[in-house]
Amino acid sequence: MIVRGPNQVVRRRPSKSWRRRITPYLFVAPNLIIFITFIIWPAIRGFYISFFDSMDGSNFTYVGTANYKAIFSDPVVATVAKNTATYVLFYMTISTLLSLAFAIFLNEQRFARNFFRAIIFLPVMLSPVVVGLIWNDVLDRKVGPLNTLLEMAGGGSPGWLVEPTLGMIAVIFVGIWVHLGFYTIILLAGLQGIDRSLFEAAAIDGATRWQITTKITLPLLKPTTLIIIILSTIHGFQSFDFIYTLTGGGPLGATTLIVQYIYDRAFQTPIQYGLGSAAGVILFMIIFSFTALNFLIGRKKDAV
Amino acid sequence: MLSNLEEKVHLDRVESGPFFPLNILTGSNLRHPKREVLRGNMKRVKSFKVISAITSVALAATMSVFGVSTAQADTSGLLPTAKQLADWKGKEITYYFYNDSQAELDTTKLQIAAFEKLTGAKVKLDVIPFTSLDQQLQARIAAGNTPDVARLNNPGLYQKVAMNLETHFGRKYASEFVKGSTLQVTDPVTKKLIGVPYDLSMNGPFINVDLFKKAGVAVPTSWNWNDLVAAGKKIRTATGSEYAFAIDKSGHRVSTAMSHFGAYMISAQGKNVLRSTPTRATKAVKIITDLYAADLAPRDLWIGTGTKYSSPTAIFLAQQTPIFFSGNWNLASLARDAKFEFAVVPNPGELNAGGWPGGKFLMAFQASKTPDLAAYFLHYLADTKQMEAMCEKAFWIPTRGDLVASGIKYPTRAADMAVYLADTAKTPALAYGIQAYPTLTGPVYNKLRDLMTEVMAGKITARQAIDQQISFIDAQLATVKR
Repeated sequence: MIVRGPNQVVRRRPSKSWRRRITPYLFVAPNLIIFITFIIWPAIRGFYISFFDSMDGSNFTYVGTANYKAIFSDPVVATVAKNTATYVLFYMTISTLLSLAFAIFLNEQRFARNFFRAIIFLPVMLSPVVVGLIWNDVLDRKVGPLNTLLEMAGGGSPGWLVEPTLGMIAVIFVGIWVHLGFYTIILLAGLQGIDRSLFEAAAIDGATRWQITTKITLPLLKPTTLIIIILSTIHGFQSFDFIYTLTGGGPLGATTLIVQYIYDRAFQTPIQYGLGSAAGVILFMIIFSFTALNFLIGRKKDAV
Repeated sequence: MLSNLEEKVHLDRVESGPFFPLNILTGSNLRHPKREVLRGNMKRVKSFKVISAITSVALAATMSVFGVSTAQADTSGLLPTAKQLADWKGKEITYYFYNDSQAELDTTKLQIAAFEKLTGAKVKLDVIPFTSLDQQLQARIAAGNTPDVARLNNPGLYQKVAMNLETHFGRKYASEFVKGSTLQVTDPVTKKLIGVPYDLSMNGPFINVDLFKKAGVAVPTSWNWNDLVAAGKKIRTATGSEYAFAIDKSGHRVSTAMSHFGAYMISAQGKNVLRSTPTRATKAVKIITDLYAADLAPRDLWIGTGTKYSSPTAIFLAQQTPIFFSGNWNLASLARDAKFEFAVVPNPGELNAGGWPGGKFLMAFQASKTPDLAAYFLHYLADTKQMEAMCEKAFWIPTRGDLVASGIKYPTRAADMAVYLADTAKTPALAYGIQAYPTLTGPVYNKLRDLMTEVMAGKITARQAIDQQISFIDAQLATVKR
């Protein structure tokens, strides 16, 4: 009989457990290193710089919370906040509803299924900068194809990129167009994860298509829909690249959202990295609050 | 100021015909008139001979007033020593560069190849789009990735990080360039030369000669803003062109019209001089914004592009406007791309004539790991031979005193360059005032541009825009004083 002393056991067990514990971290390490280097560290630096003033990008002077005070006393901020709220609200709501509708449609229809999925996903693969440039041409008031068609139909030639309200409508539309495929695919995956037998049972029990959708599909799709709401809210707040090439924040600042405000402060002459960083910190807090709120509401409903 | 002797020699040369100092104005077309005969423009050439002679006198006078020297400098080129060559072999420097035309890029590449052969060093050419020139450079400086040498149009932003060129080339180096042109690259505190003017630019209108002819409107040799607007409207009606007029979306370009009406924003002494001429400035702004408000100019391109710079070059090339107000940096591209006859015509004159000055600069940076190589590369690009080549190929107006004196033989479009040079001579000295405050030019021009957008959209009147601009300039000048 081999008797092992308690010391031997104690030595071996931690060794095995240590390996087990570290293995998952090794798997995520490459991604974690990239994430820390390019996301976490710049974010910390950004927060630090927000307390400094720099007009030339190389000499920084400590100014305390002056940059934050400057932002809240800047009259442009109220307009930017209003624009951002309008954009996020419409973008998030319409994106979520449309992507739900498209996902249900794609899940049920059989004819040219892959073709329709590819078509809906196609804009996601385009560079946002290119998207802005393309739509800038399409929406041109005088020679754009959209207005040419509208004129032929007797609809006049609206100034999509010249009138402030139309500018916002154009930007919301293009934003949805770009991301819709992405949200639809996520919801489609969620739909396909629902047990088919539930639908079959409901059909046998005589449920209508509307009842199946509202009583089975949507409730079971709620976790995925919550993700779409969170993602579209974040995307809404972060929208910049395609808007910059589409309208440049115009007309008359009507499509200037918070990220462009940050960009303008940080990189347009005169550059103010401190002010831009402070605005970035504020944006982070807004997005964080909305995301946390969404999670809390989602959890509460689930609990109910 | 020119010395009496210099001035006498200068004027004697002007009077003596083809050998006068600014025979940039005559160009090769005058020496080879067959080319012009072929183009059927002999009459125009003759008139330019007269204009040239008058202009050279005027330019000499302007330079005298403005204190511009045309000192003859050593143009033989600085040769590296054997020790420098040994040190530089295999070293690499970065040249941060943007180009307005393909000719500029091609010529630069050739010059770099020759430089590499001469020194054994390597030059990495970073070509940056004009629209993100300052953003990228400032980000690179902040990140410790400063290039060795850069071509810039806003040198005021880099005063603290630029290399003092006088430590490499001595105090006399600045005198190789016309004095007015070094204002923006002179350190405001130490008064040392921290960069060199690479080319002088001049604002002015291009016209589509084909559309003018089609509408029966004579090509203007002298006109005012009312004539310009009337011509644009008439041509638009007669030819069905989309617009009557187009101008770069830029406060710098609009400043030209303000100068014509006798209004300026900042004087060389740091005074807000717009305060004394608001009515004149309003007239200039209104004449342009009215065209945009009435849809006679491309509203979408101005109002619909937010805070971005935009140029109606494509609109002019598509023959959608008979008049395009921009400047000489577009000449090379238009000469290459235009499928119609176009010409540069004199700026419209009101109280003042002439254009509005601008320019590009070369700077080397303190952060360079091989500062002497970087400085030498800058010196090489701005020497007589290289600048002359660039002027000839890319239609630049030189900044070197020796080239101004000897003249540039523009192989093509000499008549157009003559117009720019004539307008350079007519440009009032007050137009150079704002250049003494290089850190303010960007914000002041951009604010004017944004206020004009509001006028075009009917949010405020032209007068309100000028009043707001006056307040803005006050605030900007206060930051400089602080």
